[in-house]
Amino acid sequence: MDHAHTPVPEAPAVKYVDMGGVRVPYELTQIPRVQPHRPLSEYEPEADALVVNMGPQHPSTHGVLRLKVWLDGEVCFKCVPYVGYLHRGVEKLLENRAYAQITPIVDKNDYVSPIINEIAINMAFEALLGVEVPERAKVLRTILAELQRVASHQLFMGTFALDLGGALGGGAAYFLYNFREREDVLDLFEMLTGGRFHYNTICVGGNRHDAPAGWTDQVKKVLDRLTSRLVEYRTFLEDNHIFHLRTKGVGIVDPLLAMECGAGGPILRASGVDYDMRRDAPYLAYDRVKMNIPVRTEGDCYARYMVRFEEVVASIDAVRQLIDDIPEGPICAVKPVRTLKSVLPKPGTAYVGIESPRGEIGTYVISDGTEKPYRVKIRPPSLHSASLLPYLCVGANVSDIVAILGSLDPILGEVDR
Amino acid sequence: MPPLQPPLPDDFAELCRERFGITDLPPEGPVVPRDQLVALATALKDELGYRFFVYCAASHHPKESQCQVAWRVRRLGKGTVSAPFRVIVPDGETCPTLSGVYAGADWQEREQYDLVGVVFDGHPDLRRLMLPEDWEGHPLRKDYAIDTHQFPWR
Repeated sequence: MDHAHTPVPEAPAVKYVDMGGVRVPYELTQIPRVQPHRPLSEYEPEADALVVNMGPQHPSTHGVLRLKVWLDGEVCFKCVPYVGYLHRGVEKLLENRAYAQITPIVDKNDYVSPIINEIAINMAFEALLGVEVPERAKVLRTILAELQRVASHQLFMGTFALDLGGALGGGAAYFLYNFREREDVLDLFEMLTGGRFHYNTICVGGNRHDAPAGWTDQVKKVLDRLTSRLVEYRTFLEDNHIFHLRTKGVGIVDPLLAMECGAGGPILRASGVDYDMRRDAPYLAYDRVKMNIPVRTEGDCYARYMVRFEEVVASIDAVRQLIDDIPEGPICAVKPVRTLKSVLPKPGTAYVGIESPRGEIGTYVISDGTEKPYRVKIRPPSLHSASLLPYLCVGANVSDIVAILGSLDPILGEVDR
Repeated sequence: MPPLQPPLPDDFAELCRERFGITDLPPEGPVVPRDQLVALATALKDELGYRFFVYCAASHHPKESQCQVAWRVRRLGKGTVSAPFRVIVPDGETCPTLSGVYAGADWQEREQYDLVGVVFDGHPDLRRLMLPEDWEGHPLRKDYAIDTHQFPWR
């Protein structure tokens, strides 16, 4: 079947300004910035304010997030988010566990891309210990991270269509199609680690599980199937008029504000900032890969959706570049961990940040030379992108708030920790 | 593999030495006097282009009876570099806020206040971020035992 696209009109030339290392679209920087702490008494007294609590159990909040919004008619003029409903005290827990016990706990932070949590925290511990990871483990980690990015973005694409709901005929068809393909990717993880969600496969110094026989062939098969289906998915939303009406021009993010808030990844790239740690500060085996980094300059919900869509294509391409020449050799630099004291770093601090599907995920560790970390600070990308909400929701309709929240794609397990 | 701590970026080290007179520049970040913190952050952001806010992490050190607050900001672009800096806050004293310089510091400082109990002086809205408003104590302090008897489901 021929899926011809409507010809895209030539985009007008975007004017850029230089902002310390990167250039940002000039127009987006001219958006007047909302003052989130303006007291209520300063608003127009006639405003017939209606206070609505969206959440904590609202299906569009992707977890338990409460947005307290003050509405004038249907337009929000003040928004205060409340987070913490999923707070589990992870950082306190980590201070009371040995380094070797930590990986399965951080799995549950960003439960949509657990492998990236594991890689992020173990890379910080490896920096603290000064351990070099074997090449084979690096390549396997890179492949797993990119597969996870595909699965994570597919969950976003599906649930974003669900959020926009009725306008798209329920959105459930698109959601289920995405989940069908996501299952295939999770099956690949199951083949390798035995778990579909909480893998516990990265350890300090390398990986725990090697690729079984036939795994690479299965990966290629799944990616081929996914690629052919993505053609179909494009036609679902990319040219859908109602989808355009719901998302274009909604929730425009000022790239300077996003940087100040620390919101990175697709949010920054949808606002015209050409920056990705996988290309600009390569870690693991990303120096072997030619990454295609999609960038758009509109900064709205549609741009964020499209950036994530194109990232799925780019990640598939990256896995294809790596899958055929995984180097032979050991997958772990140190002996498999048997005792709690087998990981004993020197006193010091380390910070390592990597690119998660939602932005920069990082771990700041202070070690005092014992088998337990003195302090672990996990830098969750979702918390930083959720802190954009008080700025973005002002001036939006209630239905737009749902679209904005969905397009930021915060994972509440990671926001609250 | 990244080294334990990459050395400080040259322009940041020069700024610390020349303008703020800080000579001790370890890779985990120089200790900045509290009254110069905002000036340093403003210079980093506006003059050197470190616009991306990475983290704000406080830690409690009961032996020295002090808290340490560490920040890190990043300059984006090819070969991105980051600038870490720290502040020592003795018990019972406050730390200046960076929320006027980096908008994202707002929530991060609320989180550190909530969990570690560092008070950020001048913060526009210093409420607890994670825990309920009536929670007693700050869990990430070292004197807060992990089995402290407080039921979260009251």
